[in-house]
Amino acid sequence: MRMNKWPFLAAAVLLTACGGDAPAGEDINLLNAADSAMQADRLDRTRNIFYNIPSPMETAALLQKAGAKYNNKLLNDVKNVDTYTTASDQALNMGVYGADLSYASVFNHTQESIFYTSCTKRLAERLGVLAAFNDSTLEAMERNMGDRDALLDVISETYWNVDAYLKENGRENISALMVVGGWMEGLYIATQVSATNDSQELRQRIAEQKLSLNDLLALVNSYNTGDAALDAVRNDLIAVQELYKDVVVEVGSSSVTEENGVTVLGGDTPGATLTDAQLSAIRDKVAEIRNAYIN
Amino acid sequence: MPIRRPLILAALALGGLLLSGKANAQCRSFAKNRCVPGLAPYKFNESFNSAQLSPGEEAEVNLTFYSGQDYRVLVCAHPILGEVNWKLVDVNNKIVFESLADEPKPHFDVKMANTMQMKLVVWVPQQPAGQMVHVGCVAILVGFME
Repeated sequence: MRMNKWPFLAAAVLLTACGGDAPAGEDINLLNAADSAMQADRLDRTRNIFYNIPSPMETAALLQKAGAKYNNKLLNDVKNVDTYTTASDQALNMGVYGADLSYASVFNHTQESIFYTSCTKRLAERLGVLAAFNDSTLEAMERNMGDRDALLDVISETYWNVDAYLKENGRENISALMVVGGWMEGLYIATQVSATNDSQELRQRIAEQKLSLNDLLALVNSYNTGDAALDAVRNDLIAVQELYKDVVVEVGSSSVTEENGVTVLGGDTPGATLTDAQLSAIRDKVAEIRNAYIN
Repeated sequence: MPIRRPLILAALALGGLLLSGKANAQCRSFAKNRCVPGLAPYKFNESFNSAQLSPGEEAEVNLTFYSGQDYRVLVCAHPILGEVNWKLVDVNNKIVFESLADEPKPHFDVKMANTMQMKLVVWVPQQPAGQMVHVGCVAILVGFME
């Protein structure tokens, strides 16, 4: 007689989901391969694709290495935080404030870092993701005001927690808006800094954002259309992409050499650059979009 | 009783959704506690790329590496899966780095002379037929030297 195993499998799944915690940090599910309908479902989806967009911290560190100067007049005013009432505005501006926070912190302006952490925390509260903030985040920042590296670690962990928390709770669209807001603010800061503190390296970093922009659009496109806020930022990104159309970014060959035991990749390709006209057009368009996000 | 099967399937789907959220949270906890420390002394780039994979499944991430920067790339799988395979390929699909399950390497440290885009592909080796299927967290992490 063939045994009906469905009720047992259903009970097992429900029991595991509703309680009976696995040991902390563990993530083990065991299914019998011969019986599992789930396995058949999983096999239909064997490929998982992710898009890795440079975080605000990484972008700020690149800017600093490129010789950019700190200018707090470029940042979104902390007083604006209470004007963001819709979830999409809150998400976009959590990204914007997150980028400002990274910029201030990488350039070692710790008092401003604390203001911007307060802003992101307030927006996180409104978006219902306050759980992603460690209760002692602000206290840890105040305690580490004199220790830049420790401060950057607290900020990194908080950003990661928020992004992961959103994804884990099926709010990928909010996560995507936050990533777009952070990316746009990073490019806004870079292009504004280039207006007064231009350098070949800074232009190269701005030109290379063409690569991130392609990934960012792929990320946004990976979500279903119908979300008005995502559709709007998609159009913004397409408008910026249009300005990057003629920017040449040679991604280089992967020739491998070794230097003091460390692998070195590439070395035979000139760095990307921008003409004055390209830089000016990108600067103006990004400012227009970013100012619409914050106002 | 024909009505029972759809009900059971609906219960399974609901349970699966709840389970998925919980598994993802556990994956974050695993990555944070067991994997991120392996990036030191590089600074974690804050991008959370992880997936619950079972034997035969794969995941891929498109990565941009900037010139003049030093990076550490790390793939970290839950021990229940055993060692996994992973590789980095350039835009021409040329393998730049590969770590295979039978000869695993802990991470890939690289200094970039040019800005490059690469794709990281990770796949869990197939298991012999009839064995229990294990599903576990696989995290893909990138650190950079400030």
